[in-house]
Amino acid sequence: MTTVALILSILLGTASLAIGYGQAGAMEYARWFLLLAGVWTFAHFRKWYGFSSIALILVIAAAAYGVWLEYPAAWMLLGAVGGLLGWDLSDFSRRLSAASPMDDTRTMEIRHLERVGIVAALGLGLALLSVFLRFERLAFEVAVGLLLLAALGLTRLVVGLRKY
Amino acid sequence: MSRSLLLSLLTYVLLLAGIATVHGGFLALALPLVTYLLLGFLQSADEVRLEARRQLSIERAIPGQDVDVTVTVTNHGSGLEEVLLEDQVPHGLTIRSGHNRHLVRLPSGESYTFTYTVSGPRGGYAFEALEAQVNEHLAVRSAMVRVEVKGWLFILPPLTRVRQIAIRPRRTRVYAGTIPARAGGPGTEFFGVREYQPGDSPHSINWHASARHADKLYANEYQQERVADVGIVLDGRQRTNEFARGHSIFDYSVQAAASIADALLNQGNRVGLLLYSTYLGWTLPGYGRIQREKILHALANAKTGDSQVFGDLEHIPTRLFPPESQIVFVSPLVEEDLKPLIQLRATGYDVLVVSPNPVHFELSYLPGSNPNVDLAGRVLHMERILLLQRLQRANIHVLDWDVKEPFDLLVKRRLGRTPVWMRSMRR
Repeated sequence: MTTVALILSILLGTASLAIGYGQAGAMEYARWFLLLAGVWTFAHFRKWYGFSSIALILVIAAAAYGVWLEYPAAWMLLGAVGGLLGWDLSDFSRRLSAASPMDDTRTMEIRHLERVGIVAALGLGLALLSVFLRFERLAFEVAVGLLLLAALGLTRLVVGLRKY
Repeated sequence: MSRSLLLSLLTYVLLLAGIATVHGGFLALALPLVTYLLLGFLQSADEVRLEARRQLSIERAIPGQDVDVTVTVTNHGSGLEEVLLEDQVPHGLTIRSGHNRHLVRLPSGESYTFTYTVSGPRGGYAFEALEAQVNEHLAVRSAMVRVEVKGWLFILPPLTRVRQIAIRPRRTRVYAGTIPARAGGPGTEFFGVREYQPGDSPHSINWHASARHADKLYANEYQQERVADVGIVLDGRQRTNEFARGHSIFDYSVQAAASIADALLNQGNRVGLLLYSTYLGWTLPGYGRIQREKILHALANAKTGDSQVFGDLEHIPTRLFPPESQIVFVSPLVEEDLKPLIQLRATGYDVLVVSPNPVHFELSYLPGSNPNVDLAGRVLHMERILLLQRLQRANIHVLDWDVKEPFDLLVKRRLGRTPVWMRSMRR
């Protein structure tokens, strides 16, 4: 289950970057992202877990470069989130590989995927909001209210997650 | 590099890039990483407080015997999402079934129990600790906790029960035992005839001797039986015990020493053990079951070793053994051992050499069809016979043990005490 999610994450990260770069006309870079996806997957199956950190740095750097060149921000953000998910799941696979066959890893996998899915969705949502929502003028009271609401919401979320 | 450090670095680089270029996109890119880090830190355990308990199905085993190890870990701190528990198995033990490592979720106040089976060669094995790697779901913070759970497993040498070992040291102790004391008194074995004394039992009157003297009665005197001081010297020198292709005869020597110590202690003697190896391992002499345990533990930990000082037997500290006591020397023997052993005998000790036969042992795993091996074996065998004969001529009792034969049978044949009724029949 984790392996499938990992491959999907890698594909999400690299394909998003490739599409974003492709849409901006930089097709030559897109091929490199697909190659990165292949190498990352290969490294995972060879249990070279350290490669996922390199891959994450490469994906974030590529996304940052895309943002700098004003390529479509949504694809860049999706690429970064995909890279982050891939990096997390690769390390989770490494930790799972230390379990004994009789351990209940399936439940742990489900719980981890749920948690990391929430984190990714939250991170992506916040990032997309920050990109697409623009307020030309915001009253001070509204800004403070929003800030308090965000803090309260985040606290509730954390408390909820800890109970879960 | 730790996971949190990598994410923090990436976040700071993006933030700095955003500030430097006044571009909001970099800050937006940093947001998923910040969220991940923030939630990771918030989910991490407040307090890790684990307690572990380890139970062994048996604490004394024989080589190769399966021992079940049951470990129970209880979480007294806050709930832990992901804990990798690993019980540290002492070096030398092999896990036969089950696993010593488990990945579990440990809510607060709950316990987790796992069992695995180990076995191993002779030795004393110390279980030290259980290691727990604690992660929250995102593994942003990871803590390695070492929970001390001490425990010992002794894999003792296989003990072959030997009923009787007939030894006759010159000097015995004052307590009654089974060793003939070379002194007249109460006993079972005939010692001599003396003039009848008032108080002697009428059953002890020797009527044959008394018949020859009209005015005097003579009584039989029996040999007193007492306990003795015995020092067992176990030869752990590498050059005498280790052979080509990693074969070692040392375990047989240990087995012999254990069986002899057990038999002599059962007879009530005071027994000490000296391991002559890289160092001198001295187990002080003592009586009874506690001494038996001490000796078995010392033998469990006995290892061969090489040393410049103890390369030959010149440095056996004879002052450890009471004068004229019994010394049992357990060794495969080499030519150079002849002189020190004769010197030992000359100083008044009664020496018994128990020698696992290294020639037969080596030939048992070498190719038998090779004529060179046959010839070398015959030469070595003759040399060994000569060595043993020279020892016997010096009045040293030698027990040449072909390790294919059970040790108890050899001892029964060569050192077993003949029952009194049989001795009287022989006379």
